[in-house]
Amino acid sequence: MTNAVAGLGLAPDAAMVTFPIEMFLPGSDISPVETRKREFYDGLTRWRSAFGADGVAEAPMIRVENASMEGAFSRANDLMLANRWGDGLPLWPPTRERVSWILRGATRPRGHRVGIFPPRGGVTTVETCAIALAMAGGRPEYLPVLVAAVDAFLDPASGSAQLQAASGSAFPVVIVNGPIGAQIRLNSGFGCLGPDPQRPAGASIGRALRLLQQNVGGALPGIGTMANYGGVRYTTVVFAEDEANLPPGWATHATERHAIAPDQNSISLAFANGATNIRRRGAKKETPEEDALQGMYRMADFMRVPNMPGLSGYEHGTPGILMLPGVVANTMARLGWTKASIREFLWEHSRVPAEHLRRAGCPAWLEIDSSKVVRESIALDPWPITASPDNFIVVVAGGGHPTNSYWLQGYSPGVVGRTLELPPAFDELLGEAERDLGPR
Amino acid sequence: MATLEFHDPSGAIEVKRPFAPRVPSLAGKRLGFVSNDQWQAYRMLPRLKSLLEADYSGIEVLPLDAFPQGNAVIGSEETAAQVKQSGVDAVIIGNAA
Repeated sequence: MTNAVAGLGLAPDAAMVTFPIEMFLPGSDISPVETRKREFYDGLTRWRSAFGADGVAEAPMIRVENASMEGAFSRANDLMLANRWGDGLPLWPPTRERVSWILRGATRPRGHRVGIFPPRGGVTTVETCAIALAMAGGRPEYLPVLVAAVDAFLDPASGSAQLQAASGSAFPVVIVNGPIGAQIRLNSGFGCLGPDPQRPAGASIGRALRLLQQNVGGALPGIGTMANYGGVRYTTVVFAEDEANLPPGWATHATERHAIAPDQNSISLAFANGATNIRRRGAKKETPEEDALQGMYRMADFMRVPNMPGLSGYEHGTPGILMLPGVVANTMARLGWTKASIREFLWEHSRVPAEHLRRAGCPAWLEIDSSKVVRESIALDPWPITASPDNFIVVVAGGGHPTNSYWLQGYSPGVVGRTLELPPAFDELLGEAERDLGPR
Repeated sequence: MATLEFHDPSGAIEVKRPFAPRVPSLAGKRLGFVSNDQWQAYRMLPRLKSLLEADYSGIEVLPLDAFPQGNAVIGSEETAAQVKQSGVDAVIIGNAA
């Protein structure tokens, strides 16, 4: 996978001349342009694509044999790594039986096309999603969330075409609203961004999404994605908003951001490239008002940095996702705070003095941005980290403990919502999960 | 003997349109650059322009600013239309990193 525009219908290869990164740095020795000039000339004259323009090339079935089932399982895992389809953790081989089981969670035919995964351009169908979910250890009742997340991911408004390959280490964040979160055992409380055997859905849905990004989208480290660090990419981030602990009068994220009805199952997809705990609670004899206000300042101060991750979503995306535990949200709500007033506060108090932007060389980045709103923001002092308070995402999620909040630093040109379709056998699938995993 | 048969997870590949045809030779041709003006493009592409002009008789290589430059504009339909309208035989696009 070398061609960043294969997703536009071109073949996955391209006439390219590649150099080590050192040549692209300031003050570099560019003499290799001359020593390798023939490669440029050949690219314009003699190069031919290895792929014919002959429609769809289907992926085949793979067969492994061994004296024992354990040996075959091991061989399958070795082969998936050798073919660059794995993530280093054990995978469930996506056999016909396993994939058919996962497809019980489908609402559309297995061949239904969800989209083309950039940059490699792999055709993504409901079956492709089911294959990834099978590999990731998922269950059929998770499939509606995964398919909706993939559909949102492939929406051009998400910015995935650029972020898949970019160096900024973006990872998708999927926020689930509606009853499906609790029904399929998605975590919204303690440890909701980490592993939890009691609520395992987020890990395998997120892992499946990452496998799709890599295997179908071609985002292999150093080849299809130039992400310097690639953090949080084993499972990405998939969690449910803690709707049971939303304060009275506070709307769900889906309703606020996407105007989706409160009881409607939905997902919202954004990208982030940082994840940081913020110590929110006071330590001594603060009044409730002081405790809330100091916590708000601590969060806004943390966001007031001139590293500009939010530039890509300055106009329409998000500078980040602030997660507040339900117990904190309810305390703040009793003091009069709302999601809207929290966003207003963050927007106002995270503004960066222009002098700090100048000394960090930020104006050059603002000047070359494709958004007129970003370019014109140079004139603002202090400079808001996003165009509008509404761009901040505030969700109620996390364990019932008041000390911390969590900030997922946004790197997200858009925030894309999707309502979910459920399969006719959904209740049956939930019953089988109860049988297999024990009561919720 | 235990057997496991499983899906290749990489999905189908669909090629809907070919790349532009290559030119038989660069001699006497008209070339352009589409530059994102990043990653030392301002040094590397002029060097390449000089090399092409030295190595091929009758070649015309348009200046770097013949077309809009910068990531914000080079992927647009307007830029593509300008390139087509210019009548160049081939284009070099750079730089990515």
